[in-house]
Amino acid sequence: MHNELEAAFGQLLADNCTPDVVRAIERGGSPDALWSTLIESGFADALVPEAQGGAGLRLADVLPLVQACGFHAVPLPFAQTMAARAVLAHAGSARPSGPITLDATAAHMSAEERLALNAALCAAQIAGGTARVLEMSLEYSTQRVQFGKPVSSFQAVQHQLSVMAEQSCAARMAAQLCFASESHLPDARLAAMAMVVAGEAAEVVASGGHAIHGAIGISAEFDLQLYTRRLREWRVEAGSPTYWSRRAGCAWWDAPQSGDAVGFALDSLAVARF
Amino acid sequence: MFDSLTLTRIPAEAEALRAPVRAFLADAVKDMPADRRARSWSGFDAQFSRDLGAQGWIGLTLPTEYGGGGKSLFARFVLVEELLRAGAPVAAHWIADRQSAPHILKFGTAEQAAFYLPRICRGEAFFCIGMSEPGSGSDLASVRTRAKRTPTGWQLDGQKIWTTNAHRSQYMIALVRTSGETGDRQKGLSQVIVDLSLPGITIRPITDVAGDSHFCEVFFDGVQLAADALIGAEGDGWNQVTSELAFERSGPERIYSSVVLLDEWLAYLRAKGNPSDASLVLAGRVLSTMTVLRSLSVSVNGALAAGESPVVEAALVKDMGTSLEQFIPAAIADALGDDPEAALPEALARTLRYVSQVAPSFSLRGGTREVLRGMIARGLGLR
Repeated sequence: MHNELEAAFGQLLADNCTPDVVRAIERGGSPDALWSTLIESGFADALVPEAQGGAGLRLADVLPLVQACGFHAVPLPFAQTMAARAVLAHAGSARPSGPITLDATAAHMSAEERLALNAALCAAQIAGGTARVLEMSLEYSTQRVQFGKPVSSFQAVQHQLSVMAEQSCAARMAAQLCFASESHLPDARLAAMAMVVAGEAAEVVASGGHAIHGAIGISAEFDLQLYTRRLREWRVEAGSPTYWSRRAGCAWWDAPQSGDAVGFALDSLAVARF
Repeated sequence: MFDSLTLTRIPAEAEALRAPVRAFLADAVKDMPADRRARSWSGFDAQFSRDLGAQGWIGLTLPTEYGGGGKSLFARFVLVEELLRAGAPVAAHWIADRQSAPHILKFGTAEQAAFYLPRICRGEAFFCIGMSEPGSGSDLASVRTRAKRTPTGWQLDGQKIWTTNAHRSQYMIALVRTSGETGDRQKGLSQVIVDLSLPGITIRPITDVAGDSHFCEVFFDGVQLAADALIGAEGDGWNQVTSELAFERSGPERIYSSVVLLDEWLAYLRAKGNPSDASLVLAGRVLSTMTVLRSLSVSVNGALAAGESPVVEAALVKDMGTSLEQFIPAAIADALGDDPEAALPEALARTLRYVSQVAPSFSLRGGTREVLRGMIARGLGLR
């Protein structure tokens, strides 16, 4: 299931959400063509129950879709729309056409629940976005020649890329953890933990990507900024790593029954369904 | 990329081991002060290891015909996680259990397996690893200790250093040169099992910054080894050594080296009440990172259990894990120092001092951070 969804949606975005399309929409161009393509694909109702015309998938199933939104820098709130439509459907409410945000679910979820859901979406998009920046940085470092050899042959550059790979893998695992849910909603504590780790990864990979690319990465015409700008937005959009660290710390404080640190980790992981 | 690093479930039959191990450990470590438990897998207690062996908890993954438990690597993950969490003094059997026994099973003869493995499982045969030499640290392929063929076996001459617990182990698996010269690098290296009671061996413990003596200098002067001291194929030592590394680097011990300190600090916060905002932020950060890294460690364990050799993935998780292990004492010291007038419990202060002093070793032992990042870069196709 994962692989099929990932391949189908990833190809759709690769074909229809190219860097040129992203730029055009960011400059005020019409998003209608991209949005129609996304809606016609049916993925927007992936989390809506089958009885209501959706695919009836679990949050765990749609992680590849949200990661792909990050990987391709989708300039529209598609992940939010998918999540919000699921909330509305589960609440028996009508689903408006067009892009919506989680604000549309205010009547059905507390502000805290919405924030946790958005944190999970941000963590998953960071997982996708860091994978993209790492991929670009690996490619650029092997092509850019200085001092007569590719910069990827310098140890300082290699180690920086190794750290970016570590952080990208950590963000991916964090996203998998908070998406490990049988329902359409994440566990709030796992969402907090995921954003702590993914938020750190976003900064390390974004700044590392720019360091590897040098001046060209700062130019508007080069694609890197499409992804690093978003990594830094997702890092704070639904609360920063400090905010979610505090939330996780308060969760620990409120759970003396978990005992020690490993006990708290195991109790947190116990709700993951995958 | 690194697709094996994916959310992995520990099977229920492996999880079932957790409760009995916890019950055993609650009793076994109840009188140990926190700064001793913080020694974690550096804490040596031969009697504890024999007791653990009597429970069937050494060699958990080895075949039952050799006295092992016949259990999965996941079961061993659960066992090790509980041992580290409790701060149990596991050092005596640690290396034999983690590396030497699986290594002998994989590369040794049936006779070698039948001789060593049951002793390891009973907690009677402790092993050390003879890799580093005075001139060979990260550049392991430059080892100079040499085993020469004799009519009856091998003659061993040379020197090892930083050999953990050599002075308290019965055996060493040593990487030595059996042919060629140092310039031949990886070619001509072999592994031999050395009985450390043989004549011609001198072992001198080295005192570390915390006052402990766990690593040693070991001198070999005309040591006569039997022919069956060779393990695996002559000249294949380098390949054999590298195959150990995924086992050596991926375990929970690369995340939990500071967990006893973390628990002392968390308990202090709770006992004191009314935690500062900064303390809650720090606790949440550390616990969140630890939880995600633990999931990564389980995933590497899963790849090993599936018969893969996730050497790069293990390096990646170890580098992140040891960074967390080193962050914990520095961050806790900073948090406690934020309230310089507060009286610290002596157990917490001692534990913090100990962990702070030994923390640099976390990213040295088992492959330095720089070596690991080089391996990851190779995995990324950069070298």
